[in-house]
Amino acid sequence: MTRTSKQTASRNVKPGEDFEPWESHNRVPLLVIWIALALGVWGTALLFQDQSSYSVAQGERAADEVAAHDAPEGGAALFLANCSTCHQPNGVGVRLAVPPLQDSEFAKAGPEVVAQIMLRGIDGPIRVKGFTFDGHMPSFAAALDDDEVAQLASYVAGRFGGADATLGRDQVGELRDAHAGSGSWQGGAELAGLVPGLPTQPAMPAMAQAGPDPAISDLIFAGKGDVWSCASCHGGLGQGAESTPRLAGLSQGYIVKQLRDFRAGERQNEQMSFVAKELSDFEIEGVATYYAGLRVDSTARPALGGDLARGERIALQGDWSLGVPACFSCHGPSGFGVGADFPALAAQQPAYLASQLAAWAGGHRNNSPLGLMDRISRALPESDRRAVADYLASLPAVPAVEQKAMARIEGGGDEL
Amino acid sequence: MSSEHQEDAGQGRSAKRLILAAGGGLALVALGALALESGWVPGWISGRETVENMTQSDYFQPPSDADIPDSPFGEAVKRGRDIFMNTSTNAGEYVGNGLACSNCHLDGGRQPLSAPMWAAWTRYPMYRKKNDQINTMEDRVMGCFTFSMNAQHSVAGGPPPHGSDVYRDLESYFYWLATGAPTNVPMDGNGFGKVAKTDLGYSPERGAGVFAANCAVCHGPDGHGQTDANGRIVFPPLWGPNSYNWGAGMARIDTAAAFVKNNMPLSQPGKLSDQDAWDVAAFVNSHERPKDARQGDMTIEETRQRFHDGDQIYYGQKVDGVLLGVGTPDPERPVGAPELPVGPTPLE
Repeated sequence: MTRTSKQTASRNVKPGEDFEPWESHNRVPLLVIWIALALGVWGTALLFQDQSSYSVAQGERAADEVAAHDAPEGGAALFLANCSTCHQPNGVGVRLAVPPLQDSEFAKAGPEVVAQIMLRGIDGPIRVKGFTFDGHMPSFAAALDDDEVAQLASYVAGRFGGADATLGRDQVGELRDAHAGSGSWQGGAELAGLVPGLPTQPAMPAMAQAGPDPAISDLIFAGKGDVWSCASCHGGLGQGAESTPRLAGLSQGYIVKQLRDFRAGERQNEQMSFVAKELSDFEIEGVATYYAGLRVDSTARPALGGDLARGERIALQGDWSLGVPACFSCHGPSGFGVGADFPALAAQQPAYLASQLAAWAGGHRNNSPLGLMDRISRALPESDRRAVADYLASLPAVPAVEQKAMARIEGGGDEL
Repeated sequence: MSSEHQEDAGQGRSAKRLILAAGGGLALVALGALALESGWVPGWISGRETVENMTQSDYFQPPSDADIPDSPFGEAVKRGRDIFMNTSTNAGEYVGNGLACSNCHLDGGRQPLSAPMWAAWTRYPMYRKKNDQINTMEDRVMGCFTFSMNAQHSVAGGPPPHGSDVYRDLESYFYWLATGAPTNVPMDGNGFGKVAKTDLGYSPERGAGVFAANCAVCHGPDGHGQTDANGRIVFPPLWGPNSYNWGAGMARIDTAAAFVKNNMPLSQPGKLSDQDAWDVAAFVNSHERPKDARQGDMTIEETRQRFHDGDQIYYGQKVDGVLLGVGTPDPERPVGAPELPVGPTPLE
């Protein structure tokens, strides 16, 4: 009996009171089986694929953690991560730019001296092994804890200075308290008081200590007319927060260009356009000069769940398979910035950085010279943008540069 | 069979067809999705393949730094890499300008068409017209120090002597980069590539505009490069006393045009047209730079005839009425030599 005749029969004959609906046992069409099979294969394969990439990712992460924490002993790993981009992995520095640590008078002076330099940083000329350097070293006080400073100082003094002494965490804590709020070492001249027997150090050039013009100061801290103050969003010292950028230590030329771009509508941001439209050229330059000269510890911390090892790789080496060169190949070897067009990246707020990378990628920010950042941001997947923003947030803040050096850099560096 | 039966049968068949068609479609979609997920679909269909992947996947893939072996050989590779990246410090005695190997050989000597070292390593020993002899890799690198690194103005006053550890370490690095590369076979991506000649030829005047629009933001309007706050060179000087000298390959306009076309601006290779690449290369190389290290007691014209005849170079020619090849003034003391003591001398 075929299915159709059965259906017809049931339609013609009224079912009785005790009728129970039934279905005869029919073979499942072959095609349905194929479909089910295909779906099954698909599902399993997908599951397996996800599983394998998950376990690969797990493996990589574990390997990274081992590499970061266990592979070389603490001090060596900390040195590679925090010191080697400037002082180089072999501690020889960079000719005419970054002082050597190897056999330097300061490494030989022992871990306590090294720790005090790390905690405060340096701003001023310093003479090391017969060469004078225009010393601008960041303070690591905010980037490293007491234990890390102790390990690093002991390692540097031991490896490069041949010192036997080591430093403990508690001693670093005491040094940190003693030096809190003292600002950076004013070159070798001030360090000469700390390290006996140093060769003659160059004198610290006189710095213009005059504060900003009162009108500029009002603008920064109190605002003007309808315009709120800079400090109300960017913080009293321009340290920024979340998606509000850090301004301290950005070059004067960069801040001026951004404010002019906001004013002219070349860069989009509702709040900033409103503020910038009320500013005169004089005010823009005054505000920019103020923030460019500020040296403030980093308040940024990795916050986006980015892969720091991946971020470090992009920043230091780039990913040339994506056509992305190292961030530092333009923004300077420690993310300190170069001239007016390549802003400092070190210690920038990660949420802000990631939002700007996304804006370039999406075509919402268009004021990068030659469209450099547009192309690079588009090439970076979202996870890489978070990774690199988080890595840069882990760096110590850019040292403020005294006006003389700034003029030289922006003038094109004729004394290379 | 009644007509009603036939009608029902017809309805059933069309329903069955519908179910089968929908089911079959579903199966196809599922299998297609599976194929896509697994990456079996060619990039031109999935649209996932980026331009870079299509152009670069054919090139030789050198190992990455993480693969450097933990052995005495690995130590030499690392030293070689450090010299390559930070030449003015790690081989500073022999560097008389502000350049490093990695300024022209991008990505640590890995980038195709920026004279990658994995391709160079397997081509030596080679006959070179430049010095009319068989050149080993050591001879070749000695040439780099002499011309591109302007060793004449360095503390040593010349390139590392034959047998120097500088060559040992650099060659270890190159050899390691070429792991698995075929020997004595020209490899895709070697050298800087070539730029086709254009009908207009090249012109420094046109090049000035190209430079201002595309290069000055990094290399500075005066081409002298830019430094960071510590005076560390970030963007290399293209002319002037801190750049390569007149004997360097990059001083030739065809070589510079190929480098520019295939590598500049950084992250946007190929952005400039062939014409712009020729013009800007001519502009860059129409400025004075340190003298040809081979000049010695010869005149510029003698040096030109002996070493530059037939080359695409402005050496010994007048551009805008100025004779080029004279060289920038010699430095007061060798580049990177220790300074005189500051402050009171021991006698005081």
